[in-house]
Amino acid sequence: MSDFIAFATEHLPTILSALPITLGMWVLAIVIGAGLGLLLATGRLYGGRITYALATTYVEVFRGTPMLVQMFFIYFGLPEIGIVLDPFTAAVIAIGLNSAAYQAEYFRGAVRSIPQGQMVAARAIGMTRLQALRNVLLPQALRRVIPQWSNEAILELKYTSIAYAIGVSEMTSKAEQIGYKTFHFFEVFLLVAIVYVVLTGIVAQLLHVLERRTSIPGVNR
Amino acid sequence: MIVEIIINHIPYLLDGLWVAIQLLVCLLAIGFVFGLLLALAEVYGHWTLRASGMAFERVFRGIPELVLILMCFYGVGNWYPIEPFPAAVLALGLRSTAYQSQIFRGVIQAVPKGQIAAARAIGMSGVQAVRYVVLPQALRQVPGPWSNEFSSELKATSLAYVIGVVELTRQGRYIISSTQGNILIVFAVVALMYFVVNWLGNRVLYRAERALEIPGLERRESD
Amino acid sequence: MLLDVKDIHKKYGEIEVLKGVSLTLARGETKVIMGPSGTGKSTLLRCINRLSPPTSGEVFLDGELICDANINEMRQKVAFVFQDFNLFLHLSALDNVAMGPMRLKGMKRAEARELAMQELERVGMQTHAASYPAQLSGGQQQRVSIARALAMKPEVILFDEPTSALDPELTGEVVTVMQKLASDGITMLVVSHEIGFARRAADAIIFMEGGHVIEEGPPEQIIGAPRQDRTREFLNVIAEEGQIS
Repeated sequence: MSDFIAFATEHLPTILSALPITLGMWVLAIVIGAGLGLLLATGRLYGGRITYALATTYVEVFRGTPMLVQMFFIYFGLPEIGIVLDPFTAAVIAIGLNSAAYQAEYFRGAVRSIPQGQMVAARAIGMTRLQALRNVLLPQALRRVIPQWSNEAILELKYTSIAYAIGVSEMTSKAEQIGYKTFHFFEVFLLVAIVYVVLTGIVAQLLHVLERRTSIPGVNR
Repeated sequence: MIVEIIINHIPYLLDGLWVAIQLLVCLLAIGFVFGLLLALAEVYGHWTLRASGMAFERVFRGIPELVLILMCFYGVGNWYPIEPFPAAVLALGLRSTAYQSQIFRGVIQAVPKGQIAAARAIGMSGVQAVRYVVLPQALRQVPGPWSNEFSSELKATSLAYVIGVVELTRQGRYIISSTQGNILIVFAVVALMYFVVNWLGNRVLYRAERALEIPGLERRESD
Repeated sequence: MLLDVKDIHKKYGEIEVLKGVSLTLARGETKVIMGPSGTGKSTLLRCINRLSPPTSGEVFLDGELICDANINEMRQKVAFVFQDFNLFLHLSALDNVAMGPMRLKGMKRAEARELAMQELERVGMQTHAASYPAQLSGGQQQRVSIARALAMKPEVILFDEPTSALDPELTGEVVTVMQKLASDGITMLVVSHEIGFARRAADAIIFMEGGHVIEEGPPEQIIGAPRQDRTREFLNVIAEEGQIS
């Protein structure tokens, strides 16, 4: 045990030196996922037949296949058609595109859970559908989506470790490098596991605070 | 040309798919057995069991699958030579235990309290009440939430790639290196295979959910 | 005495719900317990079969003490009918009734089902044997739950407000079944405000208030000429609520 503590104190700084990369991937992926997810959800909710079909296919494909394969497809595959990306960018895009599929479903579910009367009331005071969506439905839907969205954000934080497989020097890669140097593979992966548990714990707490701050008085989720 | 390459290599991909499915079945079975035991301990056990069960769930849900796989492979390897496949089963099985215990806990707690009271009132022991009354009702509710778990574990099997399990994704990489290219198409076929298995699995679970419905009881929302 | 309840006390934390209740029930007797709500009637029943064990006091069945060591055996002899039925939701009416004999008395499935069918006939539910609880009305569910109790061939059946969760138009069918059981000689202890049932079927009415038994006597005396003012007041309230059937 004291051996491990000594090991941890020695190598934790190296692992944490990759924290900005991990967090950077995470934040960018969430932003991409939220933007694209909102578009996809709108497409599935209000789009014509073709928009609906395209958005649905996108969601099903990204939810039905592994992130690792998606990442390989983007990083190793796209250069075949002339799109060359560095590992970091490829990972951000892969995680972002994947996350968009999930976030779209959460948004869609949240919008659909809002009582019909809200849209009717907005139209009744003269709003267009788009105005009603923007000013009345979305502000309510976004609040409702926060609990699921928090789970998704935590999942994505863990997904960033998959970028290890295409050579992004995030925390897991750093850990592996330490492993090769010290041959204490187990200890170093245990250490990185602990870092993730703490990190996901902190994020969960922060999102929980956000959830409470944004709740509408008197409205139960 | 490309079509020919793909057709020639389909058997390898199917081999890889078969390994992925074996991995999936093993890890889900481990998760089922231990997840159920853990859930029962949490619901009916002493509060210390509940607390440690919750801590287990929290920890194993907080560790990325990939890190868990590496940790189990090297961790067990420290004491005992372990092949990549069982290491992956162990890692993902532990993770699945954490997720499935949450599912089981939910469905067990959803069984109305009066059901146990009624079973006890005709003279059943606590264990009999759980076995004959609570579990038959709770387990019927499992296929719905279980389809999420099935999907996410199927996709997680691809991560066994990183410790050298020759599953579907790795077979894809092998074909790409041996044919020097065709990256997009090979990964597309690999993705399609995962997609089909996922789709089939979810259909089976949906059918099971329907078949297990109790007549007259409103179907509970499954997500 | 078949059932002998001696000085039952029950405390929840600081609050004493039962303050020393004693009663007896001879074989074949039916007694109805009445009293204002919150008076501990249901708690008393639950103390008898230890669904909530009493803080102190003893219950004897046929001279044998009911205690934690023999409770599962004893509960087979002291059946319980719940206010909200609590039928096993995943089983048909027939299997609800067959469950006990099959799992607890080691009967073969076919044999248990045959017995179950007889008990369903007794409560007039044989045509609904294949229905699931969620497909039955409240009154029908309660009749099945009575059949479930009967199938254990109990010495005594405790009824915990068996009609109070039912719509008024459905209480009749349950009361009719209970009257039939009483005249068949089944030993019954019933918590209920069905005065009609008490008048026609009970050997005695026990009036409880505030965790005590206030008075006990034959129905005609308790209903016609209660000795205690509290009993009279209570009966007047019930009469005003139109619960006399």
